[in-house]
Amino acid sequence: MSRTATHNTVAPAVRTEGLTVRYGAFQALSDVTVSLPAGQISGLIGPNGAGKTTLLNAISGFTSIAEGSVHVGHADLTALDARRRALAGVVRGFQTVRLLDRESVLTNVLIGTERLPQPSALAQFFGLPSQWRAGRRDTAAAAEVLDLLGLTGQAHRRVDELPFASRRLVEVARVLVSSPSVILLDEPAAGLDQEGRQELAAVLTRVHHNHPSTMVVVEHDVDLVKSLCSYVIALDSGAFLRDGTPAEVFGDRQVQLAYFGRAAGADA
Amino acid sequence: MGDLGQILVGGITTGSLYALFLLGVLIVFQVSKSINFAYGQVGMIAAFSAWFLYSEQGLPVPLALGVGVLLAVIVNSAIDYAAIRRIPEGRPGLDLVVTLGIFLLITAVMQQLIDANAHTFVSLGADSRAELGGVVVSLNDGIVVGLTVTIIVGAYLLLNRTSLGTSLRASAEDAGIAQAAGVNVRALRTATWAAAGVIAAIVAVLVASRLSVDAFYMTPFLIKAFIAGMIGGLDRFWLPLSVAVALGVYESLTVFILGASAGTPAVFLLIIVVLALVPKRFVNERNEVRA
Amino acid sequence: MTGATITRPRRSAQPPATGRGAGARRILTRVAVFAVIAAVPPLLFDDYWVFMSAQVLAFAVATLGLDILYGRTGQMSLAHASFMGVGAYTTYIVSSYGHGPAIQLGAVVVVALLAALVVAVPTLRLSGLRLALVTLAFGELLAWVIRETTDLTGGTQGASVDPIVIGTWDSSEPLHAYLIALVPAAIATLLAAHLGRTQLGRRMLAVRDTELAAESVGVAVARTKITAFLISAVYAGIAGWLYAAIVGFIAPPDFDLFASVYLFVAVVIGGAGTVLGAWLGAAYIVLVPELFTLAGQPNLYPIVGGALLAVVALLVPDGIVGLGRGLWRRVRGARGGQEGSR
Ligand SMILES: Nc1ncnc2c1ncn2[C@@H]1O[C@H](COP(=O)(O)OP(=O)(O)O)[C@@H](O)[C@H]1O
Ligand SMILES: [Mg+2]
Repeated sequence: MSRTATHNTVAPAVRTEGLTVRYGAFQALSDVTVSLPAGQISGLIGPNGAGKTTLLNAISGFTSIAEGSVHVGHADLTALDARRRALAGVVRGFQTVRLLDRESVLTNVLIGTERLPQPSALAQFFGLPSQWRAGRRDTAAAAEVLDLLGLTGQAHRRVDELPFASRRLVEVARVLVSSPSVILLDEPAAGLDQEGRQELAAVLTRVHHNHPSTMVVVEHDVDLVKSLCSYVIALDSGAFLRDGTPAEVFGDRQVQLAYFGRAAGADA
Repeated sequence: MGDLGQILVGGITTGSLYALFLLGVLIVFQVSKSINFAYGQVGMIAAFSAWFLYSEQGLPVPLALGVGVLLAVIVNSAIDYAAIRRIPEGRPGLDLVVTLGIFLLITAVMQQLIDANAHTFVSLGADSRAELGGVVVSLNDGIVVGLTVTIIVGAYLLLNRTSLGTSLRASAEDAGIAQAAGVNVRALRTATWAAAGVIAAIVAVLVASRLSVDAFYMTPFLIKAFIAGMIGGLDRFWLPLSVAVALGVYESLTVFILGASAGTPAVFLLIIVVLALVPKRFVNERNEVRA
Repeated sequence: MTGATITRPRRSAQPPATGRGAGARRILTRVAVFAVIAAVPPLLFDDYWVFMSAQVLAFAVATLGLDILYGRTGQMSLAHASFMGVGAYTTYIVSSYGHGPAIQLGAVVVVALLAALVVAVPTLRLSGLRLALVTLAFGELLAWVIRETTDLTGGTQGASVDPIVIGTWDSSEPLHAYLIALVPAAIATLLAAHLGRTQLGRRMLAVRDTELAAESVGVAVARTKITAFLISAVYAGIAGWLYAAIVGFIAPPDFDLFASVYLFVAVVIGGAGTVLGAWLGAAYIVLVPELFTLAGQPNLYPIVGGALLAVVALLVPDGIVGLGRGLWRRVRGARGGQEGSR
C-alpha cells in the first residue's frame, strides 16, 4: 500500500447546493452552499450548535433535507439513502462513538469492510471459497488499519473495556478500513490528549497520503486544523460563514467574532 | 338490518374493549417508552382473583372486585419499580424480554394459586337485554361502551386541558428537559403505571363478564390491542384508539360474512397487508435518532 | 453440554497477530470436545436418557436458530416454536403421503422459508417491536390452521408421526434417533459458529447494537434482519422435523406461545449471542422440566422459567456463558497478575 499522492485524480469533490435542514420550526442549516476540494483534507469549524454535525449528516444521508442537493464528483446523491451513499464511497464517523460495545476491536473494524464487494449471504453462510477469499482480504485490511492506529495489541479486547480515547480510534478505524473516497469525521480528536491528537493528525495525513480521498474533519483545535487541513469551512448558526485556506479563514474578522467571540471568549 | 346491526353492536363493544385496553398501553409507552408484555396478565390477576375471592372465599362481589383492582395496581407498579426501571440504558427491546418472563411467571403463579380451568364470571348485566330497533343490546354492552368513552375522553381532557396533562406530555416528549423544568417525572411515571393497572383491571373484569375467566383468557385480547397500537402508532392518541374499535368491527364483520372461524386469519391478513402497503413513514414511531 | 466446542464465538476472525496454526488448533480442539461429549449418551446412558439426549439435539437446532435471530441480530420472535410446528406438521403431512426423510427435509425447508417470508418482509423494514407482535399473531394463526384442518393435521388431538427410517435405522429406537439427529445438529452448530466469522454475521451484530453505524458503512439493515429471520425459521423448521421424528407424536401445545417463550428463556439463560449458550439453553429446556417432574414438582417449571427469564435478562445479560467467561477472565487475570512481573 505505498501508492504515492495522486490525490485529485481519484477522489471526487463534494458539493452542497442551497442545503436547508429543518427540525420542526428550527432551521439547523440554512441555504448552505459549500464545495470541498477534491483529494484534500478540509476542516469544518464553527461554535457548538453551528450545524457542523448536521452538515455531515446531510452529506452522508443521515438526515432528511428540506431543500438543496448534495453532489459527489459528477453524481447527485440527494435521492440516495445513507446506505447507498456509503456504498458510493461516502463514509462518516460519528461524534458520539457508535460501536458494537460487546464485540472485539477487530469485529468493530471489520464491519467497515461492508463496502468492499462481499459474497452473497448464502456463500457466506455456507463458507464457500469466495467467503474465504473475502475474509482474508478483509482481515488484511483491518490488520493494516489497526496497525496504523496503534490498535493491533487491542485487536481482541472488547471495546467496552477500552479507554475512551481508544474507542474513538476504533470509530475512526471502522471508517478508514474500506479506504472510502469521501471520509467525514466528526470531532475525531475530541477526548484525546495533546499527544493523541497529534498522533491522530499524523495518522490521518498518512492515510490520506496512501489512499487518495476527500476528507472532512470537524475540529475545534485551531493548531490541529492548521497542521492537518489545507482548506477550512466555517459555519455559524446553521449558515455558511467563510471558506478558504486555514490562514484566510482564521484571519477573518467575522469568523473570529463568531467562533472565538463565543468559544474562546467564554473560556477566558 | 337486524343481523348486520347486531354484528355492528358486537364489533363496537369488542372494539371498545380493545381501545380501552390500548389506552393503558399507550400512556405507559408514551411516558416510559416501554412495552409491558405482561399487561394482559395484570388484568387477569384482577379478574381471576376477584372470581376466587367471591366465589371460593365468599367475599361480597364489590369487595372482591375492589381487591382485584387493587392487586392489579400493585402488580403493575411493581413491574415498573422492580424491572422496567432497572433496564440499563441502550438496551432497547429488553423491556419486552423481561416482561415476557413476568408474563410467564404471573400465568404460572395464578394457575398454581387458583387453577387452570375456565370459570363463569359475574355477568355484570350481560343477561339483562333490551331490544332497540331490532337489535338486542345488553346492559353489559352499554356499560362497556359507556365506560370506554368516559375514560378515554377523560384521559384526553386530562392530558390536554390540565397542567398535570402538560407535565405528562412534557415528560413523554423529553424526560430530561421536563425534569429540569421542575416536573416530578418519577411520580408521574408511577402514577401512569398505577392508572394503567386500573385500566387493565377494568377491561379484564369486563371481558371476563362477557366470556369467562382463567389464567390465559387475556392473551388474545392483548394481541389484538397491540396490533391496533402497532397499526395506529403507539405515540399517537386518537388514531390507534380508532383502529382498535375498527379492528373489533372488522373482526365481527369477517365472522359474520365468512363464518365463526374466520376471525383469526382475517386479523393476521389485515396486519400483513397493512404493514406491507402503508408507507414506512406512517407506521413507524417518530424516533429520529440523532446521528 | 455438547456445545463446549465454541468457547469464544464472538472472536469473529483470525487475530492478525496469531498464525493460522493456532486458529486451526482451536477449531480442532473444539471439534474433539464436541465429539467426546456427543459420545457420552450412547455409551453411558440408558434408553430413556438417550431419548432425552436426542431431544436436546433437536432443541439445540431450534435454540441455535433463535440465537441467530435474537442473540445476534437483536430481533424478537414470539413464534419460534410455531416455526418448529411448521416443520413438524409439514413432516407429518409429507410422511403421511409415504415420502422419506430427504423429501420431508426439503419440504420443511421450503415451507418454513415461505412462512418466514410472509412474516418477515412486511414487518422487518419497520421497528423490531412490530416483528414481535406479528410473530405473536402468526402463532395464533398456526394454532387456528391446525384446529381447522383436523383431517389433515389431526387437529387439537395431535397426530402420530412415522419415524424416520434410513436403511436399518429407525428413529423410534432412541439410540438411532440420537445418531440420526446428531448429524443435522452438528451441521447446524458448525454453520452457526462459522456465521460469526463472516461479514453476514457481523452485519447482524451491527444491526443489533447500532443500526446507525451499520448504515454508515453500507449495511442493508432490513435485508440483514430478514436474512436472520429466514435462517432462524429454517433452523426451527428442521428442529421441528427432528422433534416429530424423535418423539413420534405432535400436538398444538408443543408449539404454542408458551413453547416459544420457553425457547426464549433457554436462549437468554444460556447466553444470548453464543453457540455454547444455545446448547446450554437446549439442555435446560429438555432436562429441567424432567428434573422437576422427577422431583414431583412439575408445576414449578413455568414459575422458575418466568422468574429466571426476567431476572437473568436484567441482571446477567450474557447468561451462563457470560458468567463463565467473566469467571474465566478473572482466573486468568489473577494468573496474569502473578506472571505480570516478567
Ligand atoms: N435531530 C435533531 N432534532 C432537533 N434538533 C436538532 C437535531 N439535530 C441537531 N439539532 C439542532 O441543530 C443545531 C445544530 O446541531 P449540530 O449540527 O449538532 O451542531 P454542531 O455539530 O455544529 O455542534 C443544534 O441547535 C441542535 O440542537
Ligand atoms: Mg457536532
